[in-house]
Amino acid sequence: MRILPLLLLPLAWAPAALAKGDAPEPPVEQEPPPLLADPQLLDFVQAPYPPQAREQGIEGTVLLIIEIDEQGQVVYAELAEPAGHGFDEAAMEAVQQFTFSPALDSEGPVPVIIEFAYGFVLDVDEHEGALADEQALEDSPVELPVNLEGQLVEMGTRRSLPDFPVLLTELELQTTTDAEGWFRFRGVPAGTHAFRAALTGFDAVERQVEVAQGEITTLKLWVRNQSYREDELVGVYRREKEEVTRRTLSVQEVRRVPGTFGDPVRVIQSLPGAARSPFSTGVLIIRGSNPEDSAVYVDGIRIPLIYHLDGIRSVINSNLIESVDYLPGGYGVRYGRSLGGAIDVRTKHSYPEEGHELRWTTDVLHSGGLLMGRLGERPDKQWGYALGARRSYIDLIIPLFTKDSGFVIKPRWFDYQLKADRIELPRGGRFGVFVFGFQDILRVGTPDDVAQGTDQDTQGDVDVLYSTHRVLVDWERRLSEDLSLHFTPSLGVDINSGNLGADLSGGQRTWLLELRAELPWEPSEHLTITPGTDVIAGPWDFEISLPFNPELAASYDPIGEREPWSLEDRGWAWGPDVYVDADIRPLADAERLLIVPGARWTYVAVPGEFKGWDLDPRLALRWLPWETTVLKGSAGVYHQPPMPFELYRPDDQFIEADFERATSFTVGWEQAAGQAWNGDLELFYKDLDRLLVAYEEFDSLDDPYFQNTGVGRIYGLEVMVKREPVDRFFGWVSYTLSKSERNDDLEGGDDWYAFDYDQTHIFVLVGGVQLPYDFELSTRVQYVSGNPWTPYAGGIYDIDQGYYWSYSTAAYNSERLPDYFATDVRIEKLFTFRRWQLATYVDLLNVIRGVNPEFVLYNYDYTEWAYVRGLPFIPNLGFDANLRF
Amino acid sequence: MTTLYSPPRLAPFGLLLAATLLGGCLTTELSSSWLVDRLRILAVRPEPAEPSPGDTVSFEALVVSPDAELELVLWIGCLADAAGVLGCELDMDLLGELEGLDPESLTPEELAELYQELQDVGLIGAEPYLPPSYSVPDDLLDGLSEEEQREGLSLFVQITAMPQGATDEDDFELAYKRVPVSMASTPNHNPQIRALLFDGVELEPDTVVEVDAGQSYELEPVLADDAVEIYEYWSESGEVEERVEEPYYSFFVQEGSIDIPFALHPYGEFSWTAPGEPSDQERSIWIIVQDRRGGMSWWSQRVLVDG
Repeated sequence: MRILPLLLLPLAWAPAALAKGDAPEPPVEQEPPPLLADPQLLDFVQAPYPPQAREQGIEGTVLLIIEIDEQGQVVYAELAEPAGHGFDEAAMEAVQQFTFSPALDSEGPVPVIIEFAYGFVLDVDEHEGALADEQALEDSPVELPVNLEGQLVEMGTRRSLPDFPVLLTELELQTTTDAEGWFRFRGVPAGTHAFRAALTGFDAVERQVEVAQGEITTLKLWVRNQSYREDELVGVYRREKEEVTRRTLSVQEVRRVPGTFGDPVRVIQSLPGAARSPFSTGVLIIRGSNPEDSAVYVDGIRIPLIYHLDGIRSVINSNLIESVDYLPGGYGVRYGRSLGGAIDVRTKHSYPEEGHELRWTTDVLHSGGLLMGRLGERPDKQWGYALGARRSYIDLIIPLFTKDSGFVIKPRWFDYQLKADRIELPRGGRFGVFVFGFQDILRVGTPDDVAQGTDQDTQGDVDVLYSTHRVLVDWERRLSEDLSLHFTPSLGVDINSGNLGADLSGGQRTWLLELRAELPWEPSEHLTITPGTDVIAGPWDFEISLPFNPELAASYDPIGEREPWSLEDRGWAWGPDVYVDADIRPLADAERLLIVPGARWTYVAVPGEFKGWDLDPRLALRWLPWETTVLKGSAGVYHQPPMPFELYRPDDQFIEADFERATSFTVGWEQAAGQAWNGDLELFYKDLDRLLVAYEEFDSLDDPYFQNTGVGRIYGLEVMVKREPVDRFFGWVSYTLSKSERNDDLEGGDDWYAFDYDQTHIFVLVGGVQLPYDFELSTRVQYVSGNPWTPYAGGIYDIDQGYYWSYSTAAYNSERLPDYFATDVRIEKLFTFRRWQLATYVDLLNVIRGVNPEFVLYNYDYTEWAYVRGLPFIPNLGFDANLRF
Repeated sequence: MTTLYSPPRLAPFGLLLAATLLGGCLTTELSSSWLVDRLRILAVRPEPAEPSPGDTVSFEALVVSPDAELELVLWIGCLADAAGVLGCELDMDLLGELEGLDPESLTPEELAELYQELQDVGLIGAEPYLPPSYSVPDDLLDGLSEEEQREGLSLFVQITAMPQGATDEDDFELAYKRVPVSMASTPNHNPQIRALLFDGVELEPDTVVEVDAGQSYELEPVLADDAVEIYEYWSESGEVEERVEEPYYSFFVQEGSIDIPFALHPYGEFSWTAPGEPSDQERSIWIIVQDRRGGMSWWSQRVLVDG
């Protein structure tokens, strides 16, 4: 005999105070907040089967109303529908000993009342035994055969649904699905029976099932998830545990942020510390730093660009991105060679458990697909794979508008990703290969009879090409109980070239060997020491052809005779950085206090041209004085080697230059309020020195181009208040107050000026809501201070060049553009079919906008000026299909 | 060079593309360089175009002032090596002394003395009183190698046009031009525009064309037969090359509109649309040709817009 609790729960729920009869009348207008998690039965207590009922072969179901408190204990129970025969008393006694997980709303655990059906069902053999006399089934001494079976599959994802309650309601037979989503009933009488499968979060499946005598009826039932998007609650923006700040966004949020074209990387620009980029392009301006001073990585390997040249899409397929580490400052020693922020795009290491998944995305600018799945029969020898490719097609659209002009304008990009991960290594760990790359091309063809200016050297077609390719191996293995190795070598090539007409061209190619290796040693939960190396090395070559000799540029004469000039050079460079840090957790509760001291040694050598090294000591601290409060701080030194163009000398002279340096300090406070709300406040100060600026006395090629005399200071605060996407709502408010200043004179003095991208106030509001029928609506509001600019006083006409040379009597960046204001809206509808899902969306950029000047444009003689307005209203229509097979 | 540890500066490409596509999104319409609606110095023609030491160079400027009469055009000359970022250094004290001076009150001797004094500080002309000219010193290229003498030096000529009643420096128009001085075997000459094709009709100089308001016309300059010169160039390796000039045109109008502001020879045809309103005032169209070696000249075409 067995007793089968009919877990038809929760048939209904309500906060306890509203349901108890002796409770005061609640205010009618106050609707309780939505429940985020139902109570789950943890400890089931088996009620004794009433002997009399057993003897008589009677089964029954008792419907009870029970109240569960914040601890998950049953504090009250009453009969809703008695069943008699002793079932009621037995069920009442049993349920009062149950233990549940507490129900949760946005504020945390809450008491609830649920209906609970406690079923008493005789084991099949007993049941048959009880019926034997009546039905004379003497020949069934053992289990009856299965004659009704089926599998429950989630619509759209084709995911099997395990532990799903299934019920033949009239027969009061119940079972649950197994790990593969299968259910089986034995000895179901022939005939038509009411079937029901229901679980919270899914649409109930109810139908009549025909069972024929002597046959097995097999069903495949598609069950619709009421909220598919909740499956995507994967951290997208996270930070390393030792970093000062943790801010987490989910895929669900990221995809819903308007103005990002669904690209997870672009969401960074709606977070604290990220300044608004001109024309909403992807220029990374993090905490007032020069865009070139911020580093971007893919799986820990540095790449030159994170966005395609259109600035709209990142170079990695959005559907392959698992997370993005956004580190605006105060980060650890794992990242270096940069003064600004760091962004590390992490790709997925998880693959569909069953079958294969194809994601296809199309919008007005590009299309692309990603196929993911597993290969291999045996679970311990399975490989996960991903194949992706995307291409923009604006180059196919533009000719439709320019075909009669003779001009050819073809901006185009593509990218690709191939990834293979061994799901499980025999001795633990992971091994994977990731091949990715991208190419961007801009081609502008001009008819022969159209002059592009008065200079004969700037006539003709324009071609710009940039491409990057990488092969990356990722090997992670546990060497012992407390020691593991993470080894990531990569090989790649960066190629870029450009030409203007026939006489002006240039090209560069760099082969890159990059290696990141870490050996974390965790002798106890209170200490982890991680030594690592971050090596970058490789040969480079370039060639430049010009219609004039640049060595005469200092005495440029537009009417002088020009002689074609070309230069080829090759060499190699390397930088074997090493670093070590320690996660020290000195308190008994290891989570309460984390102290992370670390140091990074940075070395860069370009043999024959440059050699330099420096040491970056850094310290970070996180302290949780209370469960919901984090106090944090960091201090660190950051060095950045000179840019290549700052080092080059055609005469092969050795360059005397220092690394640029930043000294950074941050303090902050994080506060959680319930499960849904959290806040983050951070103050930062960064001192910049030894910045390379143009050599003031430059007169000939014997002089250096640059000198380490620039200084700077960046300071401000960042605030973020965020509502997690725990229910239908999500959103955040981000505010940055900052000042970024530079002084190119080593002596300091009064020559401080606002940096080009200094934006005093950056305010971003993002909010979204899930609507019925799988509609989603989200919006983003931005208010940002205008960028600085320098006014001109007038111009002097150079008759030989037909051009006015400007002159200014004002201080550099002494004026400021008007503030920027824009509102974006995104509407999405998700369609779910049996085997696939289709998300269609409309991204409406700049639905409401201000004047939003991006630049100041002067007329030909610098006597008039006007603002160049930012992006106009842009509707972007697209769809994202997800097919599993 | 390598991008081993730093990103390339490619962001400007994206910005450039965006700015190009959105160039029309200005909050205010800016004036176009081809529309002459204010005092402008459009061209300067030295004669000879490429003098030798000892030659005297005379200058003519195409200065147009639709709104105001010109009071003075000052010419200052210096060697290019002595010029600053904004041209020849101007002795402002001297200019102060000239203020209020009435040249007509001076005797010829006093005028000659003043002229010599001004020349000593670089003034080579003050129109309408002193026609601009410059005597190239005989020894200017002494001390240079033969190759350097063939390449020559540049004389820097700075022109300041002052309208009548101007009270502010902002009302002045400033321009400068280089004049090569060399011992070249094939010295440059100014290219000449022989005629203008006006809707296919070849016009002679100093004619006035009557046009219909709002009507578009095709214009094309016709260069003199010897305008495109073949000249010798000594490369850095000492080899002699024969090079052919590559002239280009700049177009300016006083009223109406044009489709392109400049063109490369031989694609010199452009379209001019007459103003929509007729006028009894003559208007002008200017076509300037430059040979990229310092030589230039122009064609001024007067038009009368009928109803």
